[in-house]
Amino acid sequence: MRRTFLKGAVASIIAGSTLTFAGVAAAQDAASFYDGNVIKWIVPYNPGGGYDEYSRAVAPFLEKYTGARVDIVNLPGAGGMKGANEIYDSPADGLTIGIINGSAMVTNQISEIEGATYNVADYSYLGRMVADLRVLVVGVNTPFASFEDLQNAPDPVVIGATGLGGSTYVDAVITGPALGVEQRVIHGFDNSSDVRQALLRGDVAGMWGSLGSALQGVEDGDHIIVAQSDPERSALLPDVPSVFEFIDTSANPEQTRAVMNAWDALNAVGRPVAAPPGIPADRLAFLQEAFAQAMADPEFVEMMVSAERELSYVDGARMAQIAATATNMSPEVKAIMVAAVQGEI
Amino acid sequence: MTIIEGLTSGFLQSISLSVLPYLAVGSIFGLVIGIIPGLSGHFAMAMAVTFLYTMEPGAGIAFLLGAHATVAQGGGLTAILFSTPGTGQNAATLLDGPPMRDKGLGGVAVGAAMASCFLGATFGAIVLAAMLPVLRSVVLFFGPPEVVMMAFLALTFVAVLGKEDLVRSLIAALLGLLMAMIGLDNVTNTERFTMGTLSLSDGLSLVPVILGLFAVAEMFDLWGTGGALARNVSKPLSARETQKQIFQGIGLAFKNWWLVIRCSSIGTVIGLIPGLGSAAASFVAYGHAKQTSKDKESFGKGNIEGIIGPESANDAVEGGALASTIAFGIPGSSSMAILLSGLFILGLETGPRMLNQHVDIVFIMIFTIIIGNLIGTIVGMFLVNPLSRATSIRAEVMVPVLMAVIVTGAYATDRSMFDIGVAVFFGIIGYMMKVLNYSRAAMLIGFVLGFSLEKNLYLSLLLDGNFFFLQPIPAALGLITIGFLAYNIWGIARDAKKG
Repeated sequence: MRRTFLKGAVASIIAGSTLTFAGVAAAQDAASFYDGNVIKWIVPYNPGGGYDEYSRAVAPFLEKYTGARVDIVNLPGAGGMKGANEIYDSPADGLTIGIINGSAMVTNQISEIEGATYNVADYSYLGRMVADLRVLVVGVNTPFASFEDLQNAPDPVVIGATGLGGSTYVDAVITGPALGVEQRVIHGFDNSSDVRQALLRGDVAGMWGSLGSALQGVEDGDHIIVAQSDPERSALLPDVPSVFEFIDTSANPEQTRAVMNAWDALNAVGRPVAAPPGIPADRLAFLQEAFAQAMADPEFVEMMVSAERELSYVDGARMAQIAATATNMSPEVKAIMVAAVQGEI
Repeated sequence: MTIIEGLTSGFLQSISLSVLPYLAVGSIFGLVIGIIPGLSGHFAMAMAVTFLYTMEPGAGIAFLLGAHATVAQGGGLTAILFSTPGTGQNAATLLDGPPMRDKGLGGVAVGAAMASCFLGATFGAIVLAAMLPVLRSVVLFFGPPEVVMMAFLALTFVAVLGKEDLVRSLIAALLGLLMAMIGLDNVTNTERFTMGTLSLSDGLSLVPVILGLFAVAEMFDLWGTGGALARNVSKPLSARETQKQIFQGIGLAFKNWWLVIRCSSIGTVIGLIPGLGSAAASFVAYGHAKQTSKDKESFGKGNIEGIIGPESANDAVEGGALASTIAFGIPGSSSMAILLSGLFILGLETGPRMLNQHVDIVFIMIFTIIIGNLIGTIVGMFLVNPLSRATSIRAEVMVPVLMAVIVTGAYATDRSMFDIGVAVFFGIIGYMMKVLNYSRAAMLIGFVLGFSLEKNLYLSLLLDGNFFFLQPIPAALGLITIGFLAYNIWGIARDAKKG
């Protein structure tokens, strides 16, 4: 008995130390693998947008913590899908990573849009850089001053949006009908800047957008924020109601809540940094660790604060859960989401 | 800070030692990027952004914008000497630039092009400065209905574009419009003419199409006929002769000051409208130059006015394009989007806060455009001589070298192998059009206007109803369009009677 115990103890010590040793060796392996190597970082949009800015801002810090050189490659196309496909299909050696438009990739995937060869839940995630807080703004020259005003508007409210399936569009068509806002969504604008110009001209009364891009217009007195997307009011906007606060006023609160929760899960995907599925575990762990350090680097954080760029980091494991939740919705909710994306609401 | 204080401070900063060296480096970098076919201002800026993190705001802005301001100058050089547009905005220069070179007047053409760029840029920058107090209202002036009618007006300019007849030009322009329809439709999310491939789902990119239609087609032609790029010229111009010609060209640009002002105005107005872009501006300016010239016949055969017009317009665009970026932080083009990122990196904000608190930065931009183009002109003059010698190299040597450069340029914009195929495909189309006397310029103008025409037509119909064109400004633009077309048709009818 005692012998067995000893045997077991010895065995476990040996096993334990071997494992620890293996772990250290693996980490060292990964570190030496990346040291002096080149990581290709794919940005699925043109230079000059938010995705490009975020990528170029964090790249030097990722270099600092990996010891590798980070090459930013802009690979625009198919609304970010070309880049997302490219990351997904790259060799799983841990040398190709990139930022993706998580929410849009999920909507494309669930609506089975042609050309989506990726599966959002299967990427290896380094973590998330940011998930935009979405806000609904209305122009100061409109008769509206609150979300209730929109709900009680005598005529349909004109909301501007980009293409079908774009965030500005999905936000509007999900929240509007669910919360009893009679609206006319005008889509077909090139990008959110384009919608903003129409808002300033008074061609459209309101639009959905990220808090980051809405703030400047608020400070300039061009528009006001009347609703926000997070279930809990954000600390940045304590006086602006969340759209979730209006769920009980809707005709069918239960279904509305299910749809809004799915929408919230979609927003939570945000802008993750992803690698192809199945990269070696030690390299993924090393990249996740380096990314965590880069995101927490005081110099980086200070730079992003001064550029008024939000950050909402979550780690790789949590990000994988978020991605799994967002892609796994009930058939009824999925049907509503797909109809929204395809312009049938 | 008042505007006068801003102007003084902006000017002093621009010529100070902490800014001027960056401005010079930026401008020369932009010039070189412009000379290389396929690499555009947007590329130059994307490269320059990387260096901004450690710079002071003034120096950073001068460096970034300097790199963008001179690209059209470099591109004009390549267009005239090698029949290859350095950037999309120089495509209109191909109509009269290369014929001038073949007459042995390459130096004059280049001199005039560079001076026109400088004058156009200066004009655009001054207009921007003058508009500062009312900038926000000016930018909001153009809504979807106005843009639709402007695009129509610009399209009618194809009627006078080339030496080809009107019917052929219209066919080419309509084909160009159809080409713009390729890809994922923004409104319905339906794929059109993509033949099921993902590569076409974003539509055709501008750069490979231009390189194909003009440059690759020219290489096929040169390969077929043999000889040197500069035809009818027995030996290269001597360095001295080239210098003399350049100064003559610069003189011609100043002599045609009224044309420069009119074409610069066209450029600035088109720059103010998001989405139309400098390629459209230069073609409209070319059309205008031809329309108002006393000597219409010689356009396309090497008329200096056919160079001065588009080259002054394509740099005047800058002043207009900056307006919406500065006033609202709304970028009208991909280059302006990069500039906006650059401003963020440098910790500067756009909108009223920039106009009120940092108007000196706005003036640094304005002076960067002016001084950058001046530097570009001076440095460019020194580049003409070595480059023009290359034009007398025989086709057997020249074609493979230029083809390699063109193919690289087509690839470089989006790092896409598919774009090389696009360039070669449009090379064949372009060559056939050249042989069959169809206007490639008309096709291109249809292509570049197609996107904004369709989008804004859709938005106008939704926002303003079926009769959006009856609003005062769109109606006025519509009347001008009809008048312009009627005048040209009348001209054709009159010529037919004579003939």
